[in-house]
Amino acid sequence: MKATFPNFGYETLALKTFLEKLGASVVLPPANTKHTLEMGVKYSSELICLPFKITLGNFIEALNRGADTLFMAAGAKKCRFGYYHYLHEMILRKLFPRFRLYAISQYTPYQFVFEKMPQIFMVSPTRVIYALLILLAKCALIDDFKCQLRLARVLDFNQANQIEKRAIKLIESANSISQIRRTRQEIRTIFSINGKKPEIKIGLVGEIFFMIEPFANQEIEKELSRLGALVVTKRSLFRHLKHLLKIDWEFYRFSLLAYKYLKDSPGGEAIRTVGEAVSFAMSGIDGIVHIYPFTCMPENIALEALEKASEDYDVPVLSMSFDEHTSRTGFLTRLEAFVDLIKRRKRERGR
Amino acid sequence: MNEVDNVGYLGIDVGSISTKGVVIDKDFRIIAKTYLRTQGQPIQSIKELLTKLSSQVDRKTKIFGAGTTGSARRLAGIMLQADIVKNEIIAHAIAASYFHPDASTVIEIGGQDSKIIILRDGIPVDFAMNTVCAAGTGSFLDHQATRLGIPIEEFGGRALQAKNRVNIAGRCTVFAESDMIHKAQLGIATEDIISGLCDAIVRNYLNAVAKGKEIKPLILFQGGVAANIGVRKAFERALEQEIIVPDHFLVMGAIGAAILAQEATDSKKTRFAGFEIADIPFQSRAFECEGCPNRCEVIETLKEEVIIDRYGDRCGKWSEL
Repeated sequence: MKATFPNFGYETLALKTFLEKLGASVVLPPANTKHTLEMGVKYSSELICLPFKITLGNFIEALNRGADTLFMAAGAKKCRFGYYHYLHEMILRKLFPRFRLYAISQYTPYQFVFEKMPQIFMVSPTRVIYALLILLAKCALIDDFKCQLRLARVLDFNQANQIEKRAIKLIESANSISQIRRTRQEIRTIFSINGKKPEIKIGLVGEIFFMIEPFANQEIEKELSRLGALVVTKRSLFRHLKHLLKIDWEFYRFSLLAYKYLKDSPGGEAIRTVGEAVSFAMSGIDGIVHIYPFTCMPENIALEALEKASEDYDVPVLSMSFDEHTSRTGFLTRLEAFVDLIKRRKRERGR
Repeated sequence: MNEVDNVGYLGIDVGSISTKGVVIDKDFRIIAKTYLRTQGQPIQSIKELLTKLSSQVDRKTKIFGAGTTGSARRLAGIMLQADIVKNEIIAHAIAASYFHPDASTVIEIGGQDSKIIILRDGIPVDFAMNTVCAAGTGSFLDHQATRLGIPIEEFGGRALQAKNRVNIAGRCTVFAESDMIHKAQLGIATEDIISGLCDAIVRNYLNAVAKGKEIKPLILFQGGVAANIGVRKAFERALEQEIIVPDHFLVMGAIGAAILAQEATDSKKTRFAGFEIADIPFQSRAFECEGCPNRCEVIETLKEEVIIDRYGDRCGKWSEL
């Protein structure tokens, strides 16, 4: 079996280890590029969201590299993401004669451990649980790494990019609990650098694929730190997995915070987006950037709720939607203006 | 600071349709002001602008700071060796709050984009820009004026002569244009159609750009389209308030850039290369990098055949000179 799955930011490394622990040999799609997007756009319907187009492009490129078994997450509660795997399969069948696609439902952890994974990989549930633990540990490691990276980028942008490369090599080779623990320490050591303290802090919220995959969000985290803003987020695959296993305690707090603005979930991660934003606002953050795919229904509803929250807490919010037509110049102009606005506001208030 | 010299600050706003420039003194009074069409050749028009500005400035005035803004701000910044390169939102906000400290809303409609800036106590607190559509911006008005054979300067005035209200479809320039043609074929007077178009532009602006923003007085109207009296009146009808068009509405972005240049050079020496750069050959060219499938479009600027700037690559292999 040559297994593959769509690129998912830095977290790709953790998902790869997970499949390897179950005995699969993994063929990763090449890193996301313009070509990936072109392939995805070519075979997708115009109005479908960018995550669909990018993941379809990933599958096409991975199949071209010799992958034969595709894994795709499924189920998103009231969001069309739930049927993306059917669409992927229908489109890909016309292009490639031989492959299998497994849809992994996110909301049935019991079935996942005791039925689905053992059947696909011919392994015992114990082994699945072990692989899952490694996955969680590695996701936590990556979470930690990303926090270090965000701070390092505002302190010294160029040096942070150098360290990032070294850190990724370390993460790649950490495949057991003890190695992961050691790597975590090592990464913290190499990231200890000095620099100018960031002037402002910006909370990033939005749709999960955009929060995790830098290619989709035009590397917004990098751009914000280049402008001198420290980026903070409360979204990662680690937190998402905890959420699915129902052990993400902070999520319950987010739901409560969001309740004033969204009584019921409109699907996707809208509740979480709003809850995180309110929690950032309460902690006195300088600004919030909200990112989501163009035509995303849940996040469009979250946007309305965020506008209300922005007024209530007096926190500037910048909402930006993306698709393959998003102009980079327009994107950068908005981001720059937003950061300038926050800096000026803070300076005036400081007086 | 040398006492004999008069202090001047240069601000340049290079937009898609027009290039604007001002020189202001240390009390922000305008010494020189120029406006010309970019005509798709920003380098040429920046040079022309500098020549015109320098002829308006007397010899005793020295430039102590230079700032650029507009969609070609980066290119202009490199050519001028500007002290500050700032986006047009902040530049417009700065100029607006300088001339009208009590302004709360700035409506800015330029050649290719339109924006709203919300000010509170003179500080910009919120903004929005048109995202995917250029409906109702200057270039669309330009196109319609040409199509109807009316000089753009008279276009707005004709709207005021309208006798009846005609509804023109807004939302998209394609719909608006076909609706205008349709109404004309029905025999409706051109003045009425132009007035309907002004209303449609305002409706589109309020629904798409200013959506959800609290439009409080004082409202300023800046940018090229502010010259159009028809659009201004349509805004007044829709908002039921007086709209103020500042004296220097065309060059507000440039004034903002000049004020920012003064801020940036406060007790520092300027990097400005001087008006002489109008005579130096500059060149800008683009190529597609073949290093990876991203195929980034890299743009380089040459000064006297020497590469002085490169950008556009994601990985940084070209931008590090």
